[in-house]
Amino acid sequence: MTSIRRHPTTAVLAVGLACTGMIATACSGGGSSSGSSKTSGVTITVALATTPPPKASLDAFTASTGIKVTWTNTDWDSLQTKIAAAATAKTYFADATDVDWSRVGELGKLNWFYPMEKYIDTKSLTADMPQITSFTDAGHVVGIPYDASFLVTTVNKALFAKAGITTMPTTIADYTTDLQQIKAKSVVQYPLNIPFAAAEGLSTYWYQTTAAFGGTILDGAGKPQFATADSAGYKAAQWMVDALKNGLVPPGNINVADSQGQQTLMAKGTVASTFGDYSGNVGSLYDLPDSSSVVNQIVYLPTPGVSGTAPNMSNPDGIGIPKQAKYPAAAAKFIEWFTQAQNQADFAGVSGPDKVMTGYFLPSRLSGVSLLTQKGTLIAGAQLADMLKNSAKPVFPEGAPSWYPEFSRAVYTNLHAAATGSMSVADAIKAMSDTANKLSSGS
Amino acid sequence: MLPYALVSPLALFIVALALVPAGYTIVASFYKVQALDPPTRFSGLDNFRRLFRDTAVRESIGNTLIYVVIGVTLSTVLGIAMAVTLQHRFRGRSVLIAVLILPWALPGVVEGIVWTGIWDSNTGLLNSALNSLHIINHYQVFLGQHRLLTIFAIELVQVWQITPLSALLVLAALQNIPGDLYESGNLDGASAWAAFRRITLPLARPGIAIAMVQAVIATLNVFDQPYILNGAAPTGASLTMQTYFISFQNLDFGEGYALSLIITIATLVVSLGVVKLVYRPVEF
Repeated sequence: MTSIRRHPTTAVLAVGLACTGMIATACSGGGSSSGSSKTSGVTITVALATTPPPKASLDAFTASTGIKVTWTNTDWDSLQTKIAAAATAKTYFADATDVDWSRVGELGKLNWFYPMEKYIDTKSLTADMPQITSFTDAGHVVGIPYDASFLVTTVNKALFAKAGITTMPTTIADYTTDLQQIKAKSVVQYPLNIPFAAAEGLSTYWYQTTAAFGGTILDGAGKPQFATADSAGYKAAQWMVDALKNGLVPPGNINVADSQGQQTLMAKGTVASTFGDYSGNVGSLYDLPDSSSVVNQIVYLPTPGVSGTAPNMSNPDGIGIPKQAKYPAAAAKFIEWFTQAQNQADFAGVSGPDKVMTGYFLPSRLSGVSLLTQKGTLIAGAQLADMLKNSAKPVFPEGAPSWYPEFSRAVYTNLHAAATGSMSVADAIKAMSDTANKLSSGS
Repeated sequence: MLPYALVSPLALFIVALALVPAGYTIVASFYKVQALDPPTRFSGLDNFRRLFRDTAVRESIGNTLIYVVIGVTLSTVLGIAMAVTLQHRFRGRSVLIAVLILPWALPGVVEGIVWTGIWDSNTGLLNSALNSLHIINHYQVFLGQHRLLTIFAIELVQVWQITPLSALLVLAALQNIPGDLYESGNLDGASAWAAFRRITLPLARPGIAIAMVQAVIATLNVFDQPYILNGAAPTGASLTMQTYFISFQNLDFGEGYALSLIITIATLVVSLGVVKLVYRPVEF
């Protein structure tokens, strides 16, 4: 009797353990990075933090290549977590996915993505796609930029005019004086939008302001260039915090993120200017009557610098192929198609609403921007094309460091703390600088 | 044989998805597992040492303790109050229960976004209402400026989410209390408050204990609400947020495992403490 009972129990346990082992093995992945080279008759998964192109466009791609596309729209934070989790566990989750400019150094070092030059002639893209340099790490292109994004200064010309300002400022000193004048004349109570929430938008705003003060953030070895009081980064941080303390920025901006400030303050005419705004926001937000009460009032301003126009910091979105992709060659075909000039222009509206990809405004290709500008589809297109070609510069000319996310978190938490008054600007800068030194030295 | 066969899928599920990862986490927390600095190697207590040296982690421990105290206290008190109210049959009771459960059913991220519209310091509903009522003459900053106010405001959102479950758990316990106990109390001249203190509270202790444990688990692991409402600001960052930052931003999985282990142990210890303190077996 006993033996009869023990046997099945042992068998059940054995089966259970075997299945557990199988599941554990499945969870840890096979570790293979050898995807199929098939480029037709396959279905690829594209995971991006954006809505897909219209179905008709994707169907046309399928008809021409035999590659079906399953699109997964995941929010940016979750997507980064998925990329890290899948790559660490060496499991498949998508054939093509997001490569953010800020993660290029990290992804390059980790070797989580295929070098794009393996599949695409990336050298030939450089002239037409200036921001591709932001996606290059150690000579390898980690991703292809699919939109052009850089920080711009936007001003509400109607509010400036109301304050008697007819000539737009060209230097940061003039810009500050003009904002003070707008406040002094009570045109608006708080003329400047700075997103002081402890989030990435605060870091990028500071990078842009630092560039306006004529400096850079890190040198080629990752050492901080903002530690001393006479450095541009220090002055930029001081300028931002002073703007809040002197009543140029709404006090509530302590907890306002970048896009939130653009939508609830700039688009409503509550503030008169955003120094580090999104490129394309005039056409995609401020001139849309449904979301804005300042239609036709907002213009791009050549970014005021110390003694003239300052560069615009690039923060483009890219797309790459993870090493665990099932069909990397097919994914590369998709990326080529997705970043073609005509398709980009179509997604941005050059061929009418049927081909529009919601949320897509500015092509990464100059030729794509030109198509939009010629057709008059892109508001201030010529100005944006000029900025993209001539003044859009990478935040880190030597490439974003592999430890960028940790550094950026130190930047935005400490700047936020300085804005709340819980630490001084000097202490915030010291904490940021210490973090950069620690990370760059590998300790 | 049949019972084993019936139980095995669930057992397998628990082993594969809970026990194996838990065991792996315990082991891996003693290893240096850094994606940017391979290979994985044994590091003893180094992950734990680095965690306790990290100012952000230390601040988050303090923040999380405040979340737990506020969240468990408020959700328990409100849960009991709601349960006592719902114990009585009245018109529309079922509808009220259905409405009550809604916040519990909503994802934390959605709640965070909804409450952003309430707490927002420039355009928020609360500021607008207070201003209209002339209680304030200029908009107030509720989040990000002062630590206690920030945590209180954020935790209110979580309390709004977890209180319905607390109420239902206590309500279930209340419905087991025989009505004749209240009748006897009434005959003995006990006031409503005395009946509540002497009959309701003692006999509802098992339900209250479970409600408090679920509140402890939720508040010790709070993530969505502070992350959505206050970003990574030190004024409100929780321990689980630090786990996310360390694991998925710094890609330091070893330290992430160690912090996860600490949170798990803290959850177990506090939950057991609550059970020991509040739970009493009840027989009718």
